[in-house]
Amino acid sequence: MDIKEIQNLIKFVAKSGASEVKLEMEDIKITIRTGALGSSSGETTILQQIPMGQPQMGQQPAAAAPTEAAPAKKESEDDKYITIKSPIIGTFYRKPSPDKPSFVEVGDTINQGDVLCVIEAMKLFNDIESEVSGKIVKVLVDDSSPVEFDQPLFLVDPS
Amino acid sequence: MQIIKLNATDSTNAYLKQLLPDNALEDFAVVVAEEQLKGRGQMGTKWISDSGKNLTFSVLKKGESLRVANQFALNMCTSLAIYEALSALGVPNLSVKWPNDILSANSKICGILIENILLGSKIKTSIIGIGLNVNQTSFYNLPDVSSLRLEMGVTFDLDEVLKLIIAKLRKYLTKEFLSHTAELTSKYEKIMFRIDKPSTFKDKEGNYFMGFIKGVSPSGKLIVMLEDQLLQEYDLKEIQLMY
Repeated sequence: MDIKEIQNLIKFVAKSGASEVKLEMEDIKITIRTGALGSSSGETTILQQIPMGQPQMGQQPAAAAPTEAAPAKKESEDDKYITIKSPIIGTFYRKPSPDKPSFVEVGDTINQGDVLCVIEAMKLFNDIESEVSGKIVKVLVDDSSPVEFDQPLFLVDPS
Repeated sequence: MQIIKLNATDSTNAYLKQLLPDNALEDFAVVVAEEQLKGRGQMGTKWISDSGKNLTFSVLKKGESLRVANQFALNMCTSLAIYEALSALGVPNLSVKWPNDILSANSKICGILIENILLGSKIKTSIIGIGLNVNQTSFYNLPDVSSLRLEMGVTFDLDEVLKLIIAKLRKYLTKEFLSHTAELTSKYEKIMFRIDKPSTFKDKEGNYFMGFIKGVSPSGKLIVMLEDQLLQEYDLKEIQLMY
């Protein structure tokens, strides 16, 4: 893993909205923390031990946007947004059923009590209602993908 | 008892859900349809039923302010209620196949699909969808499916069966059961299909392995004992029981 790949990885993590990512492969261990979502220092920390010439990590997406110094800038931007997080572990669905449109899209205005998504776990389907009113700024998780407890799902601009 | 009867609807769960905002429905209000045009199993899978022969219905359960972390309790209570209702009818060899299919011997006779409406970390409302095969005798090419009629040889009055199940749901979907998770779990585990029996499973990668079902975790995962007494928890998507 070279320095370029690490840079890309940091950008990707910052962009994803995750607040902390730990990666462990054979001899490499990386922890990336972003202050991007509502918390603490806003600093990006990397810890790693690189054995020389370690090949690795094919899958870093080309998604990283051309935002240098992403974490610091993002933080101030995201501060005014509210993050809606997953109350449970499960699978995130943006639609009520596969042939229906999504509950919400970026740019939609939502009210308290509107259904934002469904999270399914063990055949229990949970409609997640919004506790806030505002405008959807970002959808942070892809349709039909697994989500963890407390994982950020949406960014909402309450203003 | 508040019962809304429909000739046909896409899905009784969807119908009930759509009534929620402006209608003053009672706790345990029921929507029952002769025919479900778009009955659902899990996301995207279908529940198929001949018109007028089976029970396809949804029950409204208003929140007992159950924490969403304990949502599997709803699954267990519903399974226990149906199990007890069908036992009372004399259906043989009943068990609950994790997480919530009701079997007679090796054949599925009933499926459950629960939808919750969450506000924050609390369950505000639950809609409990139940599909029970009652008087249907032919299931085309579906394997491992049966009905009360096939198992018992007699025709049942759908309304009677429905009333019995609702009565049991009223018994189990209460604070008393929902909030005493440990007792509830041990009650549920006692009626689990293949509990403590050597069983074959298939994992996500399609590999087969052997294990013993030991129970369910608080979040509803299946606990399987593997070789060397190792206990492993599995999500619904990570494991398939072969039988």
